[in-house]
Formats: sequence, structure tokens, C-alpha cells
Amino acid sequence: MMPPHLRSHAGLLIGVAALLTIVPVTSRSAEPDPAALEFFEKRVRPLLVTHCYECHADGETSGGLALDTRSGLLVGGDSGPAIVPGRPDESRIVEAVRYANPDLRMPPQNKLPPEDVATLERWITMGAVDPREDVAAAPAAAPLGMSLEEGTSFWSLRPIARPAVPAVRRADWVRTPIDAFILAALEEAGLEPAPPADRRTLLRRVTFDLTGLPPTPDEVAAFLADDSSDAFDRVVERLLSSSDYGVRWGRHWLDVARYADSNGLDENLAFGHAWRYRDYVVDSFNAGKPYDRFLVEQIAGDLLPDASAETITGTGYLVLGAKVLAEPDREKLTMDTIDEQIDAIGKGLLGMTLGCVRCHDHKFDPLTQADYYGLAAIFKSTRTFADTNTGAIKHWHEHGLATDAEKEAMKKVDEEIAALQKAASSFRSEAMGKLRAAARAKAADYLVACAAFGPDAPLTEVAAIGTPRGLHPYVLHHCRLHLAYHPDDAVFGRWHELAAAGDVAAIDRHYRALFADAEEAWRAAKEADAKATSIADPRLDAARAALHDAAGFLAVPPKPEFAFDPETLAEYHRLEEAARIAESGAPDLPAAMAVGEATVLTEMPIHVRGNHRNHGRSVARGFPRVMLAAHAARSDLPAASSGRLELARWLADPEHPLTSRVFVNRVWRWHFGQGIVGTTDNFGVLGDRPSHPELLDWLARRFTDSGWSIKELHRLVLASSTYRMASSHPDEASADSIDPENRLLWRFPLRRLEAEEIRDALLATTARLERGLGGKTVPLRNRQFVFNHTSVDHTRYDSLRRAIYLPVIRNNLYTLFEQFDFPDPTMPTGSRVETVVAPQALFMLNAPLVMDSAAAWARALIAREGTDADRVHAAYEAAYARPPTEVETTRALAFLRDSAADGTERAWSLLCQGILAANEFIYVR
Amino acid sequence: MHEPAATIPTTPTRHLAARRRILQTSAVGFGHLAFRALLDAEVLAETAAESGHVANPLAAKPPHLPARARRIVFLFMKGGPSHVDTFDPKPLLDRDHGKPPPFELPKVTFAAQGNLLRSPWKFRRHGQSGLPVSDLFPHVARHVDDLCILRSVHGTNPAHGGALLKLHTGSDQFVRPSMGSWITYGLGTDNENLPAFVTICPTLAHGGVNNWGAAFLPAFCQGTPIGNASTGSAQAAVKHIRNDRLGRAEQRRQLDLIAAMNRDHIATAGAERLLEGRLDSFELAFRMQATMPELQDLSGETAAMQRLYGLDDPITADFGRQCLMARRFLEAGVRFVQVTHSDSEVQWDQHGNLYQGHTKNAAEVDRPIAGFLQDLKARGLLDDTLVLWGGEFGRTPTAQGTDGRDHNPHGFTMWMAGGGVKAGFAYGATDDYGYYAVQDAMHVHDLHATILHLLGLDHTRLTYRHAGRDFRLTDVAGRVAKGILA
Repeated sequence: MMPPHLRSHAGLLIGVAALLTIVPVTSRSAEPDPAALEFFEKRVRPLLVTHCYECHADGETSGGLALDTRSGLLVGGDSGPAIVPGRPDESRIVEAVRYANPDLRMPPQNKLPPEDVATLERWITMGAVDPREDVAAAPAAAPLGMSLEEGTSFWSLRPIARPAVPAVRRADWVRTPIDAFILAALEEAGLEPAPPADRRTLLRRVTFDLTGLPPTPDEVAAFLADDSSDAFDRVVERLLSSSDYGVRWGRHWLDVARYADSNGLDENLAFGHAWRYRDYVVDSFNAGKPYDRFLVEQIAGDLLPDASAETITGTGYLVLGAKVLAEPDREKLTMDTIDEQIDAIGKGLLGMTLGCVRCHDHKFDPLTQADYYGLAAIFKSTRTFADTNTGAIKHWHEHGLATDAEKEAMKKVDEEIAALQKAASSFRSEAMGKLRAAARAKAADYLVACAAFGPDAPLTEVAAIGTPRGLHPYVLHHCRLHLAYHPDDAVFGRWHELAAAGDVAAIDRHYRALFADAEEAWRAAKEADAKATSIADPRLDAARAALHDAAGFLAVPPKPEFAFDPETLAEYHRLEEAARIAESGAPDLPAAMAVGEATVLTEMPIHVRGNHRNHGRSVARGFPRVMLAAHAARSDLPAASSGRLELARWLADPEHPLTSRVFVNRVWRWHFGQGIVGTTDNFGVLGDRPSHPELLDWLARRFTDSGWSIKELHRLVLASSTYRMASSHPDEASADSIDPENRLLWRFPLRRLEAEEIRDALLATTARLERGLGGKTVPLRNRQFVFNHTSVDHTRYDSLRRAIYLPVIRNNLYTLFEQFDFPDPTMPTGSRVETVVAPQALFMLNAPLVMDSAAAWARALIAREGTDADRVHAAYEAAYARPPTEVETTRALAFLRDSAADGTERAWSLLCQGILAANEFIYVR
Repeated sequence: MHEPAATIPTTPTRHLAARRRILQTSAVGFGHLAFRALLDAEVLAETAAESGHVANPLAAKPPHLPARARRIVFLFMKGGPSHVDTFDPKPLLDRDHGKPPPFELPKVTFAAQGNLLRSPWKFRRHGQSGLPVSDLFPHVARHVDDLCILRSVHGTNPAHGGALLKLHTGSDQFVRPSMGSWITYGLGTDNENLPAFVTICPTLAHGGVNNWGAAFLPAFCQGTPIGNASTGSAQAAVKHIRNDRLGRAEQRRQLDLIAAMNRDHIATAGAERLLEGRLDSFELAFRMQATMPELQDLSGETAAMQRLYGLDDPITADFGRQCLMARRFLEAGVRFVQVTHSDSEVQWDQHGNLYQGHTKNAAEVDRPIAGFLQDLKARGLLDDTLVLWGGEFGRTPTAQGTDGRDHNPHGFTMWMAGGGVKAGFAYGATDDYGYYAVQDAMHVHDLHATILHLLGLDHTRLTYRHAGRDFRLTDVAGRVAKGILA
């Protein structure tokens, strides 16, 4: 093919002729024309150096573009060649400097002067002669991260092995194969495992672990009394079959699924149906649903041959993400949402930061933009948004579950709400109308009063002048400002003269007459012609216009708080609140947040730098290539559907190198407080390496061999000696020096309770917790604003049900959640952090939840039979699953005596709060 | 690729990650927790050597560059004040009032655009600099010689939520740390008994907590909200800072009991860092209960001072109180103070009623801001305090309805004063009608880069590793606007 700068000969001559300077076209092979060279050196090069080199030279290649070499210009950047020699109108660089395309403006800070733009145009027209050498040929476009070959041998992407269980010296310690792997590593490092934990500690540990609740004193007593060899196993079975298990472990999954009851991000609307997904997750854990099935339902539950309301509800996983609901650019919104979905699947299911690949190939991992857009095409073929919207706010996709009768009944509910809303708004506009009329009737009085103060006067002063005269202080204040802002307004010219002269009486006379005349003339004009829009006399017409201008000198403040008197305001607020409460409490038509199928795109273009307006080559739908090597090649995706079902099945394949590894590691993390791979959501190059790689593979194999049974996995872990170790070690100092982070598990890690456990333990210990599973708990109607402009928080957290049923409001989490490290519900989290911050202490010292719980507990303890020492004993058993020591009893009794002046109940309440706030309560050993 | 040994993995990132975990998890709340004692010396030394940061994560840290400002206050005007009605006069709007705009509109606008709309306010030149300010801000106008008016700020998102998030966090699509959190992360605090970053009466709409959240930065970097936009500033308080049921003596006795129990527990459970940290956190919280309300108590300020901030006028009292509180926080060593002007409407969002709305809004803030500037100057604080004023975007020079303006993120005005910026200076320009930034255009990323620069931080070096990559406030963009540096 002919190079473009030669192809354009004909057009070029016209252009060049127009410049009146005939410059021969040069190609690289020919000797450059000296005049053209001179033009470049004198005009173009300085221009490029001054305006472009900062970002596009010496290795700085913003947008992939280098402008300090000839080839840099010709090859161009991510958006293609910068110049087409001979064709300025087709050259990106000219488009950019012309500033006509708002998405492509260079230099970004300042438009070039017109003569510089002309210089570039002329230079390109002349053939873009450029003598600059290519500095040491630009480095070949090597993949940024790892190559495919390197990738397939990276530890997490290799096929899952079937490692042999290692031999160990202390074989008597080994209860399950897990112990052999753990002990082998300990022995190799010269470490001894900690001795077994005592029974009380173990029971408290496993009860919190499996149910998120403390053991009751009865459960402790029963376990202590059971000396059979399988006593602990039976505790595990009891806990696994209690519905509290699903509440606890379902919540773990909700962290990964970034579950929330509101959108957050730009516009915070209630996800009024998200709870169905939450209940689906809890039920799935309780029912022992195999993980592969659980996963397939969440990605493609709507496409399964046996699809049901349950499996469709599972796809809420794809819809729950935070979205920029008011994003005006639909295409950007679509791509941003797809990105959120890919990121969630990447981190949550695969432990890969796939979101990084939207704009460029992965800098570390063997993932490419082609992988990303192959997946993106699947999700672009999926419906995550409905076609409807409320104003600027787009609606997410839902799957209706309502019957026709329910739909019919809901119309009435909607009408009732609309009527209440209208009542409030009509009341407001009527009241505003009355205020305007009242102000008009006293127009002259306002102008008279305005002569008594300057525009700087504070409202208190204005009110002191206006109120005795029956004038509205805010209207009067505005009136004075209006006069100051409009010194040239003809209607008020007279006012300025008279006010300056201090002739108040004349102001009164003049304006009373003027406005009366104007109103009269207006009445007459309307009588003569009902369609009249003005009065013939321009002077009177100007007065009339001023008088009736809602934004004029008599403007009433639009804010009801400033406009209305207290009674009117109270009535308006009452009506507004009635409408809000009716809406908040109204039922919704049953529906599930769920995806559907959209028009199938079998391929889509790579978006250059992630910019949805800058398209590169197209890629077919598909799965990340580096993960294909390890398990069966996929067949082509069906043309008639999105490919989500195939994606789901590909993910849930036992040979997938990541799916099972990532999940068993999550379960390990939730049991032990740290994963075998510390970075639970990143199995890539920048993630941690496994502390026990063979154990990880052994667990993954065992897990998939068992039919992906999560409860089997728990049994395996909980039966181990590893799980039953104490949290302290007889030779702590030396173990600590060898493995300070306890990565090898020479003792059981101490952990702080998670936010929900703290809350539930407070209520359970003080006998206030209400049981019961499921149901809608966010006190808002679907799509209702959680926060509109008012910033008033209507969401309540005083329910006494388990914390999983408290609303999860993005952008404004419940204080206890926020302060005790509840994860950011906009991103998948496999490993919550554990911070110690002062606001946590403020919460334990001052929050009503803690105070009320302590008071209730105090009353219950006082009502018990027995001595104070017995009561202290009962409190310790309930809070710590152990009796107090003698020293502790003595100290508690002394505290009660010291606080006796406050009264018995208050003294006990202070003590109880102390017990709940102490470390032992919120740490599990 | 190097494969780990069978036992303890030793990847290059592991030690860094471990240290980061310590910083992240043993984080303090509002202030110090005697960190040096809590962390083992070796890790501390390594951390300091590697990151250049000292070990107490909240302790004041040396900046990257010579700092021009030590602290910053952001007077945030929620809703988007109109630049063409305040600090960016456009005579052509008067001339071409009512005509269709003679320029191309953006591809995506928030609402349909009408014809050009002139400003209802007059602009006058003020001060030695002669910079024009509209009649909306007669008091601020008297300080125009202290202002550095940025007339070419621009963002990308034309909706409130997106624009607020962009301005506060640099991202309108993801949850990212807010600029106050980044600054706290970079500089620490000058008062270890107070939060480094407070935000007074912030709005809970349009991004809410994310606008002062730490996202993936350590917990100590998050902003501490004092009330919110629905609370009057007189009632604004840190959550759970007060206990209405217990007296101080009772609480002290209870705290002593908790401390005794915790010491016993540490003796049996092992001297875990977090357990000891929690012991101290209760003491700090107890002290905080006294210090925060003291700082917020303005009754000790003289009547003249209260008048200066407009506390004597119901119109200005609410915002004035916020500004006076801000001055007390700044003086006490808080690094980043945000003051939000927002009410039960979207305050400055005049799609209609431009004249009434802006009149009312300006009247509420004009005197307090002028008083605040005067007070900072008198105390010598203005020299090393950066004051930033502005909204999430400006408004269109075209009309919406008959008397409103739509959102305009393509060119708008913010202003700075104090620490390290040129005074009595206007930087950049929008086009002849005020729609697009065309001269010395300053993207929100550039604004962030410039703010960090003034505080002595290099925006390309202030990074945090999260989810496999290094994050910055300015993402991959940002240029320091050198033209405004004094």
C-alpha cells in the first residue's frame, strides 16, 4: 500500500498552492527540501518543545504518544497516528490543537495561539518534514506484566496438584491431614505447636466462629459435663445445623459480594429488594448448597435449565454494586457498571485484579485488555439496567415476582402516596402564594421601611424595624438588597432619591399611588382584554411587572424555614413527614434485583485507555486466556445468549486453577484470621505467596472431591489439632523470634470480634437479642432516597434482631459498623481489618446501645436470687464463658461499694458496662 | 518467577505488606497511642527507613518539598455557585443576553440548555489589584487583594454526586480516599489529641461519607464529621462524644475498673499490641470528651470576635459559627478543616430562582468568610494556612427556564488565599461567555496536585499500595499550577 503522504498528492497541491509557497513533497527516501527543513527547525520544533515535550518527550509518553521523534508522530499513541502527512484535517494532532473536540484538546491547559495552529497545519500540509532521529528505536511493545507462558506456570495458575500428606515426627498430634501439613512446616522451622486450648476457651472460640454468638452458660456447662471422646464433634454438628450458622457464614459471603441495602456513590437510593439476595445467601449456607452450584446461580441463575425465583435472586450478586446512577452519559454508565461487575468477579471469585485491565494490559499479572473486553462483551450482552428512570436517575434491573392482583393492589398504594405528597406541595405553594399577596398589599410599606436601614444591616435589626409594621423580616431584608443591587432600575429611581433625602413620607405617597394606579390599570386592561399581557402606560407597566415578579423586590424566600411562620411551617413539615412515612412504610411489589439477557454482542472493541469513546480492535467474547491452559478448552459461546452460563460453568469447574483455591483460602481465613494466602482477594504477582502451598492444593482437591461441600470443609478444619491449639504458647519468645507473624500457626491467633459479633454479643449476653430469620429490614421503599438533599438520617438501628438484619447504608454506615471495621460495601472484602481507634472507645463508653444493654442486664442480675458474689459469677459466665477469680469477684464487689452512692441499679449498670467494654469481652482466644 | 520455599514465604513485598498491615491495623483514632512503645523497634526502624515516615502514623511527618502551607481549610459551597455571577464577569453575556449560544455545547449536558442569560448582579473592581467581584460578595470583595482567583477550574462530571466525589476524592466512579485523608496520610497532625482532619456539617447526600472517607488508607486518615448538613452548627457534635447519663467522676471510676480488667487480661492472653492499644484508646477517648466540646464552645470568644464572624445575625450566624470553629481547630493544630455551606435544599443549586437563591446564599456566607479571612490575617495564620473556596462545579452562562442556570463542570471559579499563593491575582480564564476553561485550564486533578504541592507534598510521590497497585490522589494525571505560586 502506498504511504499516506504520497497518496494525498492531488489534494496537497491545492493546499500548498493556497499557501503561495510551493514546497515539494518529500518522502523519507528523498533528500529533504532545505526550505521544508528550515520551516521545521524554525517554526515547528520550537513549538513542539515549548508546548508538547513536557508530557510527550524524553520517555514521558502521556497517552502512549511521543512527540520527540518522527516515528513517534507517525506511529502515534493509544489513539492512533498523530499525523497523516499531507492531510492536516485527518491528523489527530491538528484536531487536538484546534480545540473543536471537547474530548481531545491539546495542550490541555491552554489553546495554542491561532498562528501556532496554522504552523502545524501548514507543516503537515507540506508533508510533515521531520529530520529528527529516532532515539534508540523505541522499545518493542513487550507485554507489561507476565507473558502467557510465564503466567501458566505462576503458582496460582498452575493446575491444582494432589499433594501427598507429609510425614511428621510428632504423629500423635495429627488428627486430620491438615495437621500433618501444618506440623511439617512447624517442625521444619524448629517450632512446637501450642498445647490444646482449655474447653471453655475452645467452646467460646468455635461458637463465635460458627454462629457469631457467645455460648450460653448452659451450653458451657453441657460441654464441660460431656466427657465422651466426640463431645467437641457433637458441638460442631449442633452449631453447623443451627440457623445461626447461615447468619454468620452468609455474612462472610456478603462481604465478598459487597452487599448493601443502598446504592451509595453519587445518589443514595434504597435497594428495597436487596434483602432477598441476603436471605438467599443465608439460606444457601444453612441448606449446605454446594459452592459450585452457589456460584453458578449468582452468575447465571436466570439461565439455568431449572431456573427459579431462588436462582434468579442469586444473580443479585451482579446487580448489587454501587453505580453512578445519575451519570448522564449512558455508554459510560454501562461500561463503568460492567467494570464493577468484572472487578467483583475478579477479586471475589478468582482473586485477580481484573479491573486493572480496563485501561491497559496488567502491569504485573498475565492478563490483557483482550481478556477484559472478552468478558466485558458477555456483560454487555447482559441487562443490568432497566429502561426506566426517575429524572436523572437510572433504574437498575429487577425481576418482577408479583402477581397481577398484587400489581393492581399496588396502584392504590401509589396513588395514596402521591396524594399525600401532593397535599404537602400544594400546601406549600398556597402558603407561598398568600405570603406573596400579603407582601404586594404592603409594597409601599416595605419601601418605606427600607429607608430605615442599609443593605448591610443584620437580620435582627431588620426584624426590629419590620415586625412592628407587620412586615416579613426576610422579605424586607431581600427588598433592601434588591434596591442595592438595582440602583439603575427605573421603578426605584425615585426611591433612591427620596431615601437619600430622608423624605420617608414622600416615598410612602409616591409608591402607594404608583402601585395602586398600576394595579387599577392592570385590572382595567384585563377587563378589556382577558389575554392582555401588559399595560399601555410603560411607567405603570414597569411598576406592575416589579410588583408581580416572584423574584423581584418582594421575593419571598423559597425556603419554607425562612418564609413561613412557626404554625405554617409545622403544618408543612407534618404533611411532608406524613408523605415520607407513608412512602417508607409502603410495601413494594415483590421483585428481585437480578440481571437479564440483552442483545448479544459476540465481540466488542477494546477501549483505548478505558475510554469508551476511543475504540481499538475488536475481541470476541471469551475468558482470560491464561486460565484456559489449566483446564478444558471452552467451546465457542452460543450466539443466542450472553455466554454468562458458560462463564459460570467455566468458573465452577473443579479444574479451574483459581476458583477452589480462592474459596478454600477464604474459609481458612475466616476460621484462622489469616489466609494461607494472606491477600485473600489477590492471588496475583503482587499478592502474598501461600504459607502452605501444598495444604492449599490439598484442601482445594478435597473440597471439590467432596462435591464442593462447605460444611464438610468446616468439619475437616474444626476436627484438627491446629484449630484446637491455645492462643498462647509456653515458649512464646522463641517462637515469636522465628515466626513473628504466626504465619506457620504455632498458636491459635487471638482475634477481635467483628462489628456484628460485638453488637450481637452485647444483646445476647444481656438477654435482649431477638431471634428470627430473614425478611425486609431496610425501612425504605424501593428506590426511595436514603439521603436526599436534607442529610436527615431516617434510618434506624434500634432493632434488636441480629446485626445481619440491620440496614447496610453505603456512604453512611451504622456508626458501630463504621467504627468496628465493617468493610466498605462497595468492594469485595475477604479479610476485614482490625483497628483500634478512639471512636470505638467512645462508642463503648457512651452509645445508647451499650448503656441500655448494661442497664437491662443490671436489672436482670439484681432480680436474681443469691448474693452479690453470685451475681458477679453469673455475669462473668455470661460474658466470658468462665467464672470470675477470687480477685475479680473482690474487685467487682469493691466497685459496687464505691458506686453505692449512685444507687444499686446504677452501680450494677456501671459494672455491667465495664464488663462489656473490657478486652476479654470483644477478643476471642 | 521465583517460587517460595516450602516454609515461610519470602517475597519482596511481604515485609512491606507486613509493615503496612501494622500501620493499617494498629491505627490510632484521633491521636497518639504511644505508638513507639507499642510497636517493636525493629519494624519501626525499617518502616521509617523505607517509607520515610516515622512510626506513629499520625505524628507530624516531614513533607517532600518545602511547604508553603502547614494546614488547609476548604470552604465548600455545595450545589455549585455561579462563577459568571460572582468572580468571573462576562460582558458579552450582557450584550448577547437572550441569544442562542454561539459555541458548541458539550456532548453530554445535565439538562437542556436555553439561551444566554446575563448576570443580575453588577461587577465592581476592588482593592489595589482592581479585581472584579460581583455585588453578591461586598464583604469578601474588601479582601480581594488577599485572593488568588482561579477562573479556569474544570472537572468532568455534570451531576452533583459525581462532581462532589471527583472534587473530594479525585474519582467519580470508585470509592477512593478523600483529599483530606491523603493529606493526613502524608503529613500527620500537629496535635496528637485531636483528629487531623475534621469536617464541619458535611452533607450526607451526593457521596456522603465517601467525601471524607479514608477508603483503603489506614483508618486514622478518615475525616471526623462534626454534625452534618441537617444539624445547625450550634448542635453539631462528634458522634458519641457526650454521655448524658453518667457524670465524669462515675465514668472515671468505670474507666479505672476497665483498665484493671484489661491489664489482667493482657497478663493471661499475652501482650498483644492491639490489646495494649485498646487500653490507651479508652484514655484518649476520655480526654477527647473534654477537648472537642471545649474547642467547639465559642462562648469564650469576645463579642467583637463573634460579630466579626456574623454570629450576631441570624442570617450569618450558622455559617459564621462554622468558620469560627474552623479557626479554633486550625489554631489547635488540625491539618485539614472542611466547612460545608449546605442546607435542606442543594444550597447553591439554582436551576431556577437564581436571583433569590444566590442572594440568600451569598448573604449567609459573605460576612463570615470576610471575618474569617480578617481574623486569620490578624493572627498571622493566613501566612501558612491555605484557604480554598468553591463548589463542585459552576453554572452555565445559558439559561435554564427563565431565571436559572444549569450545572457547568467545564469551566468555573474557585479561589484560594494564604499559604503560598499569589495574592490579589486572577489565574486562567474561561471563554468569552464563561462556558469552557480555555486559558491555563486547571482540571480538578491539577487543583489537587497544586494543593498538595503547597502543603509540601509531591502528588506523584504520595502513593499507597492497595489491591496490587500504587494509588494517588491524582491517579495518573495532575499538574501543579506553577503560575499561582507566590
